[in-house]
Amino acid sequence: MSVVVIGLSHRTSPVELRERFAFAESKIPSALQALRESGIAGEAVILSTCNRVEIYAATELEPSKAFDGLKQFLVASSHEVGSLRCDDRTAQRDVPTFGEEIYALAEPQSLHHLFKVASGLDSMVLGETEILGQIKDAYALAHQHKHTGARLNKLFQRAFNVAKHIRTHTNIQRGSVSVASVAVELADKIFTSLAGREVLVIGAGETGEKVARALLSRGAKSIIVANRSFERAQTLAAELKGRAIPFDDWSGEFDKIDIAISSTAAPHHILDRPKLEPLMKSRRQRPLLLIDIAVPRDIDPAVNALENVYLYNIDDLQSIAADYLKQRTEEIIRCEQIIFEKARPFLESRENQPQMRHGPDAVRGLDASKQLPAS
Amino acid sequence: MSWFTDRHFFLLAVVLYGLSTVYSVFLWRKGFRRDDHVNYFIILAGVALHTLAMTKRGLTFHSCPVNNLYEATTFLLWALGLACLVYSLLPRFKFLCAFTAPVLFTVGIFALMPSLDPPHGPKPDFSNWLRSLHAATILQSYGAFGLAAAAAGMFLMQQHDLKFHKLRAMLSLLPSIQRLELITLRLVLVGFVLFTIGLVTGEQLPRPEGKPYLSDPKVIWSALLWLVYLELIVARMFFGRSTRRFTIGVVIAFAFLLLTFGITNYYSGLHHQ
Repeated sequence: MSVVVIGLSHRTSPVELRERFAFAESKIPSALQALRESGIAGEAVILSTCNRVEIYAATELEPSKAFDGLKQFLVASSHEVGSLRCDDRTAQRDVPTFGEEIYALAEPQSLHHLFKVASGLDSMVLGETEILGQIKDAYALAHQHKHTGARLNKLFQRAFNVAKHIRTHTNIQRGSVSVASVAVELADKIFTSLAGREVLVIGAGETGEKVARALLSRGAKSIIVANRSFERAQTLAAELKGRAIPFDDWSGEFDKIDIAISSTAAPHHILDRPKLEPLMKSRRQRPLLLIDIAVPRDIDPAVNALENVYLYNIDDLQSIAADYLKQRTEEIIRCEQIIFEKARPFLESRENQPQMRHGPDAVRGLDASKQLPAS
Repeated sequence: MSWFTDRHFFLLAVVLYGLSTVYSVFLWRKGFRRDDHVNYFIILAGVALHTLAMTKRGLTFHSCPVNNLYEATTFLLWALGLACLVYSLLPRFKFLCAFTAPVLFTVGIFALMPSLDPPHGPKPDFSNWLRSLHAATILQSYGAFGLAAAAAGMFLMQQHDLKFHKLRAMLSLLPSIQRLELITLRLVLVGFVLFTIGLVTGEQLPRPEGKPYLSDPKVIWSALLWLVYLELIVARMFFGRSTRRFTIGVVIAFAFLLLTFGITNYYSGLHHQ
């Protein structure tokens, strides 16, 4: 039995198309049952997330035949079970004819693909870990309903091990790649713990809110919101379970806070060195992290020269995120080497089985000649 | 194996400290990114050999091995190495060994100079428990000050990287700067308490008739050092001195200790009785 995969992902198709093929979790067991009864697959797992819909199947068929059958199944299912739609209006539309949107991979590429997906190498945010949990859930669902057997059980367990190995031995998941998470990581480098830290949000902008939420999720004690529109400040403060203060009062909070996030629309600096210097004295030199995500900037860069003040603007944060991403990208080759190495024993074990007559096939079927774009 | 003396064991320990120093440079150039245990185990092996060397010498003379400059220096380094191993067990403090290894290596090389280890004269009298307590607390306080200087070095590097937005600050596995400052202050406090006990017990020890305690060069030097550390502690804890200045002070104070320790010990009459 060889393992094939067919599907579509954020790399090959837009969300409007993906959502038509998405499987609701409740429908997956019956879909797997139908797939196995059709004789296309002996074992199968359906992975359906916002970024990809994939069917992993262990089949006795030649890959080209399996791909034809799986494509028909996928298209038929899209008319019946689609439900992860971001916009239900699209559900009414017909499924178009396909070009390169659907990919089909036979061994060994199918194995490499699963290992890459599990390791986050094929994710929209390179190296993210959420996908591994989603694969585990998809496998658990199929396993629970007895739609997996020796072949897929072994393959998925191997995929989880490979993902763990890659996470431990490479930097593919290291560092933060969003402004909010970089800010949290910075706070982690400055303060002993984020628990009990007070955060001041000056200006209730979207990015400021995201940073504040990220800090809260990591244990920050409370959020104080200052905004020119006091109503908006109150709304955001209520959402973040913090408190709102009038905009002109924000400097009065500086002796209590540890982190300030500024994102006002002010055309000039609202915080400069002469203003901050006396405030730092009243803080008895406790460290202060200032995150200025406003354009034009709210905080005079000269304040960074003050003792115990750490100022980062939006460019600094984005530059760190970009560096992390670059570092992750540089790790791809290492990860792929690990994947090829880890897939080899699995492939060899299949080749050693006497009943297996066909060796590793090239990608065939639909647009089988179209390989996935490079990660 | 009688030809293999305690000095040979110490030499091997210094070789391991040197190896750790080279590895530390490698870790530093890599930005302290990987939390591996190699450096810890090199230092552990070094301290084990170091302990063996000191035990061997201690057993030979049936006394605490602090009777000449070589022995005092090796005791100091041993206290530093041991404290480093203990503190490295704290989360994210593995790299403390990387900052301590250069001190262990350079001072170890210094200690190996033959002139620092002249043959013993009359057997020192350590039957007085105060004398043992004095020697042990003083040298352990040096170890604590040394470790504080290593933590302060980590703080200064990490703070510089954070101030100037260096990616290394984010990638390294060093502790947060607030934690480093806390550890530095605690180590200085521990060292200061031990140092104070050492000085007080030293004052109780017998000395030549009519020779005041404060007339000995090493006692004067120790009193000066005590005042330096007192000033650092008081300024930081009660007058809000900035962390940066405090940590720079800790590094300078320990550098002063290392550079002048040998000289004052050499000219000390009380310590050559």
